[in-house]
Amino acid sequence: MGRPVAILGSGQTVHGRRFDVSYPELVKEAVDAVFETTGISPADIDGVVFGTMPSMMEGVALTHFYFADVLRSVGKPILKTETCGSTGVSLAITGYYWIASGMADLVLVVGSEKMHEGDAQATMTTVLEPFYQRFFISGAPGVFSMQSQGWTVRFGIPEDKIRAAATKLSIDHHHDAFDNPYAHIKKRLTEDEVNNARIITYPVRLWDVCPTSDGACAMLFASEKAAKKLGKKVAWVKGVGYSGDEYWFGDSDKAEWQCAISASRQAYEMAGIKNPRKELDVAEVYNPFTFQELLFYECFGFCGFGEACDLTLKGVFGRDGELPISPSGGVLCTNPIGATGLNRVAEAALQVTGQAGAHQIPGAKTSLAHAMGGVVQFNGVMILGSEK
Amino acid sequence: MEKEFNTFKNVIRLPHKYAAGPTYTKFYNGLKESKILGTRCPSCAVTFVPARSFCPKCMKNLDTWVEVAQEGEVQTWTYAGKDFFGIPGKAPVVIVLVKLDGTEGSFLHLIGGINLESADTVKKALRKGTRVKAVWNEEKKGHMLDIKYFAPLSKKR
Amino acid sequence: MADRVGIVEVAMTPGAESKDNFLDQVFRTSKELLDKAGISRDEVGTVVSASSDVFHGGVSCASSYYWDAGAAFLKNASRQDGESLFAFIYAVMRILSGNYSTAMVLGVCKGSENPANDMLTHFFTDPFYQRQIGLNETVAAALQKREYMTKYRITEEQCAAVVVKNLGNALKNPYAHVKKRVSVEDVLASEMVMEPLRKMECAPKSEGMIAMLLAREDVAVKLTDKPVWFKGYGSSMDHFYLGDRDLLNGQLGTAAAKAYEMAGITNPKKEIHVAEICEPYSFQELLWCEDLGFCDRGKGGKLIESGATGPGGKIPVNPSGGVLAHNPYVTRGLYRLAEGFLQVRGQAGERQLGRKVTTALAHGTHGFAGQCHAVVIIGK
Repeated sequence: MGRPVAILGSGQTVHGRRFDVSYPELVKEAVDAVFETTGISPADIDGVVFGTMPSMMEGVALTHFYFADVLRSVGKPILKTETCGSTGVSLAITGYYWIASGMADLVLVVGSEKMHEGDAQATMTTVLEPFYQRFFISGAPGVFSMQSQGWTVRFGIPEDKIRAAATKLSIDHHHDAFDNPYAHIKKRLTEDEVNNARIITYPVRLWDVCPTSDGACAMLFASEKAAKKLGKKVAWVKGVGYSGDEYWFGDSDKAEWQCAISASRQAYEMAGIKNPRKELDVAEVYNPFTFQELLFYECFGFCGFGEACDLTLKGVFGRDGELPISPSGGVLCTNPIGATGLNRVAEAALQVTGQAGAHQIPGAKTSLAHAMGGVVQFNGVMILGSEK
Repeated sequence: MEKEFNTFKNVIRLPHKYAAGPTYTKFYNGLKESKILGTRCPSCAVTFVPARSFCPKCMKNLDTWVEVAQEGEVQTWTYAGKDFFGIPGKAPVVIVLVKLDGTEGSFLHLIGGINLESADTVKKALRKGTRVKAVWNEEKKGHMLDIKYFAPLSKKR
Repeated sequence: MADRVGIVEVAMTPGAESKDNFLDQVFRTSKELLDKAGISRDEVGTVVSASSDVFHGGVSCASSYYWDAGAAFLKNASRQDGESLFAFIYAVMRILSGNYSTAMVLGVCKGSENPANDMLTHFFTDPFYQRQIGLNETVAAALQKREYMTKYRITEEQCAAVVVKNLGNALKNPYAHVKKRVSVEDVLASEMVMEPLRKMECAPKSEGMIAMLLAREDVAVKLTDKPVWFKGYGSSMDHFYLGDRDLLNGQLGTAAAKAYEMAGITNPKKEIHVAEICEPYSFQELLWCEDLGFCDRGKGGKLIESGATGPGGKIPVNPSGGVLAHNPYVTRGLYRLAEGFLQVRGQAGERQLGRKVTTALAHGTHGFAGQCHAVVIIGK
């Protein structure tokens, strides 16, 4: 283990269809917010970590050039971390290692996406290589639907039960989003509305799927020395984990998803967590699809395989449950891909510092942030705590 | 967010040409002869199909070629009722992972030869374990879609 | 810093077009590295790669595609976009954090299957102002060259001399892409691409897959009897809009100052024994030499005339042939570092410098007219 690493604060933009600003202005909104919230001067940062989803998304490549000024990176070192959908957590992990290495005391970490300026699903299709698989993959929902289908059959979960659990998650998260000032989609939904919404790719229906959002998130990672200087309550990084599968979809089982299991176990081991459901107070799970969220509960050891639906229906993972999941409304309500994972870390940090406002989980001391990406291929996990 | 300003439309297309290399080339040539070829790892004995040049776990070169079965079992599938960017042909389509007999992983392709009117009609014909068989196009181009689709062998297992 | 980080081994492909597919090349380079270093995939702690979606064949989320080919299956790994020296320093950070004792750095670029670099660098522009004017890297470099020539009376002959030197050096480099014995006259007679830049003054478009193994000191000395140590790093970013920048006084000086400070270098002219500089355009080698402190401002032309940067000179620059001889866009920084590593080890083959080499400098740049620079110092 390297030096202790703290998170001093975060800035999120309001998410949505942000045609009121250009892309650099959107990034600036988040960056300005984190400096304003923490009272830190941009001149004091030692470096910048930045990332988005792929270049095709907005049609600008190597966007750290484009955003050099608004990222306050002029005259400073920058790292450009990108790992597809998991970019946000990979950005946070980069910030962590930079500080832990002793090469910096204060690093600005920023993720962004302006999805309405491109064609998100068309971009996703180009994640597939051109030889064997690109012809068949219908953007993101296609592969994730197949994963969910495989999981349902594997553990013999009746279709009406998984539908009921997914519906509960959809209703709860869309409702939770009202308490999050930055969330994109906030809606009071009925069971009938969710169950009868149009099919996107079977069995996934409209309200089981995240929106496409424009947004950015900025955070400050710091050494113990810089954290003390700030003199405010900060979050501490307790564990990091990241893992990736083989590239080819079909090479391995995605129900007991090996990289999700391995990423979470790396982070638990580093944080000394043995029983995540008991020891975590809140988790921000990367949940662009309700069905997949259930699968994550099992892969992360929040419950046994095949148990997620029953426990969800019992309310174990609700706002007042034993382990509240994504009280921000999560990815299901807000998904600016390159920022999404970082939003999870920002939310997890807000929770353990008692600053989550209307969606604060009372007394939260340990939280988990997660992001997923690639061709059902990558998972990254970060554990935060209120104590060093 | 109340006010929106101008937008500027800019469509970019870039021409790429991809080197297929010996392994994919041989796989494509197999398709031209209505064969599905895989490569087997000498170390972990897993057969990869479509053919791969290395094993991701063992980091071994794969040069043991096997012609694999053209029949297999449906692992999972999805249904798209509307056209999407890059869709192979026109909607509706069913995209499937098929575990070809004698292989360990799954093969990504399409399902056809059934009623594709809705997800419900597909559900009647398809479930995990449904036996399917490759149906070939008459004209072969050395392309994944030389296999027209996989069709269920019979309604019952 | 508690520990030292050493470079243990390197593996790389030559720059000319290969009909091998992308994934096979990544796999073979990774495997060659592991075999040369004598360790298994399981023993590699972490992998940090460098790539770019637009520079590797229009496959988005680059690292998804080559993740397992690059030995990262089920590992805690990551990726940097655009500049391969970023991947190097991120791997160094991961080791220094105490979490890993070994790290593989991977850089991937298969230039032969992509559209022209100018088409791709056009993507760096904002869609509103600079894209509509057709800005790309060559246009930016042409603007920079004219400014440089005008302000400091740098001559066409001095710029051409860089090409003569580097393509000549490349004759001895099996990894280089373009290698030729050419004269200043040949360069000046080559087609004008973007006035005042001629074709031979612009780097080609090349392939380049490269893998490097790093290790914490205690592990490095077990894996090799010739580790080359990481000594210093500096990087700096300039403003985005070309018009907002001083093209003749960019950020390389800042980056170099940081790297020198970390490495304890006070007199680079004396203490750097070889410099591998990223010069996609002839005159940039002269300008970058000034920024690195090898000569005074405006004296880059005189520096090459003096022969100091030749293979037998006081401060040899680009004995590999540099980027003019081999330009795999994303990985060219890591190729510079690899050459520095081989020179320090005394394993640069025919192009091994006659002088003592204990300290080497590697430089990477990407973006218009050097918007971002990175400098790495390594040594015995």
